[in-house]
Amino acid sequence: MDNKEDFSQFRRQSQKGILVIYINILYKALKAFWFLLFLFIQKFSKIPEGKLVYIYIGVAALLLFFLIRAFLIFKNFQFKIANNHFILKKGILKKTNTSIPFDRIQNINFKQNIIQQIIDVHEVNIETAGSSKAEISIKALSYKEASALKQAITVLDNNSVATPSIETAEKPLLKVGFSALIKVSLTENHLQSLLLLFAVLVGFFQQINDLFDRLGKQDVLDNYITKNTSSLESNVLLIVGFLILLSVIAVLSSLVRVVLRHFNLTVYVKNSALEIYQGLITKKSVILKKDKVQHITISHNPIKKKLGISFITFKQAISGKVKKKQDKVIKIVGCKVIQVSAIKDLLFPDKNFDDLAQNFSDSYFRVRLYLRCVFILIIINMGLYLGLGNSSIFWINSLLIPIFIAATELSFKKRYYLFNTDVLIVGSGTIETHKTYLPFFKVQNVELKQTLFQAQKNVADIVFQTASGKIKIPCIHVEKAKQIYNYTLFKIETSQKLWM
Amino acid sequence: MTDSFQNISVTSFPDITEIEFRAIDKKYLKVLLINVFLVFLVVFPVLFFADKKGFFELSRNSIWIYLALFLVFIAVLSIKTIGFKKRKYAIREKDVSYKNGIFFRSLTTVPFNRIQHIEIDQGPISRFFGLASLSVFTAGDSSDDLKISGLLKEDAQQIKEFISNKIDG
Repeated sequence: MDNKEDFSQFRRQSQKGILVIYINILYKALKAFWFLLFLFIQKFSKIPEGKLVYIYIGVAALLLFFLIRAFLIFKNFQFKIANNHFILKKGILKKTNTSIPFDRIQNINFKQNIIQQIIDVHEVNIETAGSSKAEISIKALSYKEASALKQAITVLDNNSVATPSIETAEKPLLKVGFSALIKVSLTENHLQSLLLLFAVLVGFFQQINDLFDRLGKQDVLDNYITKNTSSLESNVLLIVGFLILLSVIAVLSSLVRVVLRHFNLTVYVKNSALEIYQGLITKKSVILKKDKVQHITISHNPIKKKLGISFITFKQAISGKVKKKQDKVIKIVGCKVIQVSAIKDLLFPDKNFDDLAQNFSDSYFRVRLYLRCVFILIIINMGLYLGLGNSSIFWINSLLIPIFIAATELSFKKRYYLFNTDVLIVGSGTIETHKTYLPFFKVQNVELKQTLFQAQKNVADIVFQTASGKIKIPCIHVEKAKQIYNYTLFKIETSQKLWM
Repeated sequence: MTDSFQNISVTSFPDITEIEFRAIDKKYLKVLLINVFLVFLVVFPVLFFADKKGFFELSRNSIWIYLALFLVFIAVLSIKTIGFKKRKYAIREKDVSYKNGIFFRSLTTVPFNRIQHIEIDQGPISRFFGLASLSVFTAGDSSDDLKISGLLKEDAQQIKEFISNKIDG
């Protein structure tokens, strides 16, 4: 790649960026005011002809205003590279000048939503771990510019690497084809997908409810719902049908979710980083630097285990105020055993975990899990009784209690920890099985927790706070907990490696 | 247990339980108690007015509500007083630790080389007693980092200097 792009002078994005920004503004405006638009369309016929012209003019003026705004945003958005800093000037009225030193840059990601795909530009996101305001998004660069920019930043970052031409080994570590992706999505946690869909729908429903509230048609909607629910109660067949429909929806929603997010998932190993490309409508490319990964979790469920596939979640450092924590969690699906061990080798070289025995939590942990179940059961029973006022509802316990017992036993059995000199491994899960790998030196601080009951049993929880969340080993013997506590501190304090 | 941890002699690691923890300043108990008083000073009138307006619909038995609140008040005061003795901190060469709690005991240690920044702040009541609290922030979800309340202002200042020097050096 000939690196002819010159970043030493201030420069703007690609011209096409105006379109991207424009559509982005329009999308935001639509999202905020869609119900106004809805109202408007509903009353469209009632508006007299004469006044319609004004509305057209108003809309046109608004669109023009957005266009000018987009142009000004484009005009004022300038960036350059100087003295190992990425410098950005932006703002129409309120000018901001951001400067980020290269060693603070955590990731440089490329992204393409559908519009950016059509006009063939890439969005470049520069992620930092420190202050949350320094998250930079350049909306439109040509591929050549984008990769030149990435190279300029990453090359200067590792001064030791003189020639970045190690692009010969272009064989992907992992490539998930469409059929494999279908397999992955069919074995997803469908209940979770359903809940996610449900959450989206509830949000949507509330918005509609608000709308009807404003229109004063609340009664109509309520009547409609009550009429339907009452017939629901009387008809068992309908309930069964509803359940089947629900499960079909669940499977479909996980199918859609997985395909949208992980379409054409390809992972390369380059230098000591993972390059991940995925997505259908929004294409994303992420570079995961080895040092920036805080901990990883390898997970599978019983069906996935049968098929020999698992998914890996990479957790990177997040800053306290970032709302979109999801962005810092990178997930790759459909990994075979070989690929899992390849990634493990990359992140934790020369480590052998096989001959380590698993240490389990004290049996007090089981007691605690059961207590928690009893508590949840009481709440469910109370809620159902108060809600429906029918004592036959208590029969639901005959179904719930076995489920709860099974879940508790499973999660107790799957809780274990083991460690060698550098890495701690924590197992967890109920139906799914998770295995988290945490290098000791990535821990930010440690906490030992003990309730009075735990003190009587001489057990304690140990909590490792990392830059990307907490990892907990519940209810282990105090002596062991203290040993681990001291050892972790020793590892952190003597570590010469940077945690990111 | 057959992990390699056993292979390393445990005695070679500095033990957190063997170091001497220091209690925080005694005046801080007053700050805590005054805070409790202030909260109840707000709750009592609210309850009184709610009762007067017949909000609880048990006009005759309303004495029990006051009694319950009073008991809660006493309980909170005594828990704060007993728990106060459990609030201790320690500073070693490379880390800072804090422990507290009676029902929920916790011990937290933050190594100096993971500290992002340090803050000293003073509430109005603490300022009256010349006390300050020292907060230590690490990367990540900073909600759960370490905060030592009830240090003398000078002590807090000194500790901050000490840690800052350690971080830079």
